[in-house]
Amino acid sequence: MSETVARTRTEEIGPRRRRPARRLSYPRRAARALSPLLWIGPAIALIGVVVLWPVYVMFKTSFQRFTANGFNLGAAGWRNFTDLFDEPDLKSILVRTVVWVVVVVGVTMTISLGLAELFNQRFPGRRAARWALIAPWAASVLMTAFIFRWALDPQYGVINVFLHDVGVLKSFGSNQADWLGRPDSAFVWMMVVAIFVSLPFSTYALLAGLQTIPSELYEAARVDGASPWRTYRSITLPLLRPSFLVALLINVINVFNSFPIIWAMTRGGPGYETATSTVFMFQLKQAFIGESAAMSVLNFGLVIVVVLVFLKVTRWKDQVT
Amino acid sequence: MKRSIAAGVAVGAAVLLAVSACSSSKKGTGGGSASSGGGGAVTLSFVGADYGTGPANSTQKYWEGIASDFKAANPNITVNVQTINWNDFDNKVKTMVQNKQYPDVMEGDYFPDYAQSGLLYSAKDVTSPNTFSNLLSVFAKLNTYNGTQYGMPFTTSARTLFYNKKLFQQAGISSPPQTWDDVKADAAKVKALGKVGFGMPLGSEEAQAEALLWFLGNGGGYQDDNGDWTINSSQNAEALQFMAGMVKDGVTEPNPGTKNRTDLWKQFAQGQIGMINGSPALIPIIQEGGKLQASDWASVPIPGKSGPLDKTLGVCDNVSVFKTDTKKQDAVKKFLDFFYQDKYQVQFDKEYDLLPATNSAIKSLSSDTTFAPFLKALPNSVQYPNAPIWSTVKTQIQQQLGLAMTQDPQKILDNIQQTAKKGS
Repeated sequence: MSETVARTRTEEIGPRRRRPARRLSYPRRAARALSPLLWIGPAIALIGVVVLWPVYVMFKTSFQRFTANGFNLGAAGWRNFTDLFDEPDLKSILVRTVVWVVVVVGVTMTISLGLAELFNQRFPGRRAARWALIAPWAASVLMTAFIFRWALDPQYGVINVFLHDVGVLKSFGSNQADWLGRPDSAFVWMMVVAIFVSLPFSTYALLAGLQTIPSELYEAARVDGASPWRTYRSITLPLLRPSFLVALLINVINVFNSFPIIWAMTRGGPGYETATSTVFMFQLKQAFIGESAAMSVLNFGLVIVVVLVFLKVTRWKDQVT
Repeated sequence: MKRSIAAGVAVGAAVLLAVSACSSSKKGTGGGSASSGGGGAVTLSFVGADYGTGPANSTQKYWEGIASDFKAANPNITVNVQTINWNDFDNKVKTMVQNKQYPDVMEGDYFPDYAQSGLLYSAKDVTSPNTFSNLLSVFAKLNTYNGTQYGMPFTTSARTLFYNKKLFQQAGISSPPQTWDDVKADAAKVKALGKVGFGMPLGSEEAQAEALLWFLGNGGGYQDDNGDWTINSSQNAEALQFMAGMVKDGVTEPNPGTKNRTDLWKQFAQGQIGMINGSPALIPIIQEGGKLQASDWASVPIPGKSGPLDKTLGVCDNVSVFKTDTKKQDAVKKFLDFFYQDKYQVQFDKEYDLLPATNSAIKSLSSDTTFAPFLKALPNSVQYPNAPIWSTVKTQIQQQLGLAMTQDPQKILDNIQQTAKKGS
């Protein structure tokens, strides 16, 4: 740190002490100063248009009144926010969102650790197996969710047929067979689907991490007579930490924002009883556009807070860069 | 790696949004800008809902047929037709309107707030007196804002109770139900056969319709005769309590709050459900299913608490005309007068099993055995409220009402009533 400061200072002082160099004309200086823009300009424009502008519009919308069909009736002050915080369901939706993120990400990461280890072993057909793992990731999430919804159909769903055949399910079309009709069981099934579609990415991230661990370390551990568990704990896990953290953070953001699974399977219903905050935002949008924008702002804030806390807790910079 | 799922999902969603936005806007501008050129040639853009079940009976064909007949009669007026699948209709139209890309003529849902915002011609401005007076007057109020009628009914539908005669026979029920208690008792008997006694779609698709039919049975409704909101009336709450009782007894499908009309109608067509409230649109579904013969089902007036209802829920889809270009007003008028002919009304109703919206077309269909019971119910049907806030209220009913089967109905109704009152 001190080194850099020192260097900057000499640079600042440098030119003054020397014989004044021939000064560049103003336009040329300007051109030189702006030339980096040529390279980073497109990226800045992209961020501006795709990220900053929507954020601005989101905030703006949250302070306006709209009819259900999207006509702007002017300023609303804080009313959208007070309406939002007056929603009796808001608290349970936020709690449900936390459960959703923690369970889905937690289970995904745990299973992924095992899967990554498995796929890192040599076995015949490993290439094919690795390719197969991509499937849930490559398939449209919406499509996967629909497939599960039909598989859970109370009358004809293949999962119910299976459960009936093994004797778990007593009769088709019953309350028991109506997995997506009961909020609690629907929520569990949706978490299963969310885990299913999150696994490939996490597993690949961890697999890539595993492959960067030099084999000498394992050799050394073996020479020292470390047990496999000890080796895993003392060598694999610590060295896996950077890729684990990347996968974890991306998963948290993804799962928090996850919309298609819940929308396709229950639409957040009955009422808001299977909605996370993202789905709730969309449900509100159908009738209360301003309030929905207020919910977006809240979601936006939550993601930022989660990410900042995460970075702080994991001392991200030391670990990843 | 970072791109990953996040990008996958986001890009997917973005592409979807972009595609739908583009497609609607492109076609929208087609009408907005490619308007009346020189020499009296006029191009009208028409946007309609697609009532078909596939390419074979797409409504696009129906309107293109009309457009070409119309062109033959009026060589200097061209009508560009675009139809939109019902599932996307509201969203696409809202997007078009928010982007100020108005079609000239639209058929489908009618949005009172478009009239409120001054975007529409009044019905009288774009129809001849004959055409106007031929429109079913029972739907006039629905399409009226501030005393002026803007929307014009184009196709209508009414509800009756469908029941599966075969199941009734097996369960030893001799006559169709007339009262709520009949419904409950019959449903229990059908349930004993291992089928669903009564199909009760209270999910987000159309909870507002199913609920209203029960409210009417108890003298309730969404508004009283003065147009005041009565959503949380004791009659309505009592109706919901009765329904919840049926759910508790297990004579309906499980968890009605999550079940939608489309799915339940299909199950009725498959012979899995004893009774369900339906409209003529259920008939083609029964025919397609191939499980029930024409003699295996029948439809009767909807049972009320103490006797069959003499009124029912009537719904209509409407034509609205946007004020795009005053030069087009005459051409639009000609077009409307043209497609409101009985010929086209009847053609439409036969194609999609819907009901006409004009007095003369009703007359010409009244001898048809399939349509007769519905046509009888149509003139004294009850409509949804016409207040602009209704679309908000409707959405809330769709999302919340199903909860009344497991929670206190009064509380849920109070909540919805509050929304309705806030907006009016």
